[in-house]
Amino acid sequence: MDIILLGQQLLGYIPLGDIVLYLAPLNLFMFAGSLAFTTLIAISRTETQVEAGIGTLKDNEVKVNKDEFKIRRFLAIVCGLATAGAMITGDLFNFTLFVCLIGIVNIGIVSAVKQIDVLDAAFQYGLVAMIAVLPLFGGAAMILASTGSLSMLEIVNIPTNAMMIFGSLLLFLGVAGETGVAPFYATKAEMFRTPGSPFLLIIHLSSLLVIIRVIEILLIINKPF
Amino acid sequence: MSASVLVPNVVSPIVVSLYIPAIFTGLIVGLIGLLGISYQKNDLNALILTDIVGLGMLILVAAVGTDLAEALILPGLVVELAEILAISEILMSREIRKKGKNVDLIPLPVSLDMEVLTTAPTFMAVILIAYGAFLSGFTGGAIAGAGILFYVLSKSARGVPSDIWEGIAGASGIAWCLWLVGFLVFFVFPQFWLLALFLAAFGVFIKVAYKAGLIGVIGREEFKKE
Repeated sequence: MDIILLGQQLLGYIPLGDIVLYLAPLNLFMFAGSLAFTTLIAISRTETQVEAGIGTLKDNEVKVNKDEFKIRRFLAIVCGLATAGAMITGDLFNFTLFVCLIGIVNIGIVSAVKQIDVLDAAFQYGLVAMIAVLPLFGGAAMILASTGSLSMLEIVNIPTNAMMIFGSLLLFLGVAGETGVAPFYATKAEMFRTPGSPFLLIIHLSSLLVIIRVIEILLIINKPF
Repeated sequence: MSASVLVPNVVSPIVVSLYIPAIFTGLIVGLIGLLGISYQKNDLNALILTDIVGLGMLILVAAVGTDLAEALILPGLVVELAEILAISEILMSREIRKKGKNVDLIPLPVSLDMEVLTTAPTFMAVILIAYGAFLSGFTGGAIAGAGILFYVLSKSARGVPSDIWEGIAGASGIAWCLWLVGFLVFFVFPQFWLLALFLAAFGVFIKVAYKAGLIGVIGREEFKKE
């Protein structure tokens, strides 16, 4: 079985020394989508939330001030670039590092808000993300130990054994914790309750794209077909 | 285990058999950390306990035991540190905001009144600097810089005039030039390689040490502002 998977054709490699990026239609599409969304974010302005005032007819506007806006835009762009990198990398450890960067930047995007409950949620999400580093790196190290390589172009030719399955399970657990999907979503939903919409959306988009990519990686490692 | 397929013959079987115990150790360390977090009600303690889980990750990566694992531990450690820094910033800004004060974008600790800065002997700094000089190079520079940082912080806690360390920036620049000259000698006069090696090693040592020491100077000026 070759790396041609999910009906894809391999279009080419970009060998950067040790790190080999591989180009396939799905990866290229997700890469381009992530970059396009990052560009949209870089040129857009934040929303302003309007809250109804209690006991008065006035509206209460929740705005983002300029310093906060700048640092948030910067972190959102970093998050977009990290997502784009995670889409086309052909190296398992690079993938885990990109996912960790996404996790850290997600915390950073909401770190400057004024709402205490949002900060609380970000703190809880950060704890989960830090704990998830153990299965994430541990899984990658276990796959390295049982295959002798981190390059997916090599791993695809090595028959699967029990340690690789265990390692890939740990890897999936780590990605789930780091991006805050299914069992850990409660704190992440709470994080969205702050003004500054386009920057917050990159948190969502990055986790969706990373989950699709990790499924592809698990298929490459475990070769169920 | 299947790992033995890829291991060269020269590696002794004891080292290979250590892999599975190391994996279990890492997972057990992680579970101990998680158990501690689940009992904990204080947020700060929970944050410190998550570092134990990170140690479990380092054990798992180190269990691979090749030079590639050595290269992977460093990014793992950096990621761990970056996450703990980010989360502690969030914790700080949340606590300051709970008190109703305004928070800077990057909250600094309000005052550095650690007890160790007033009670520990400043001689510790001398030991660190001497050990750093013995190591030389980049690592030695980092250790000696920690010594200078410790000295500056403890002095500032005890209240010594602030303009003692002003000339340090210039010395750092000159040491950097020594480093560059050392490299130039390598290429122009390869027969003097020993001289070039020592120029480069001690140049970068002095430069890194003073750069790390400058953190203390800048930090102290920030704290004096309030």
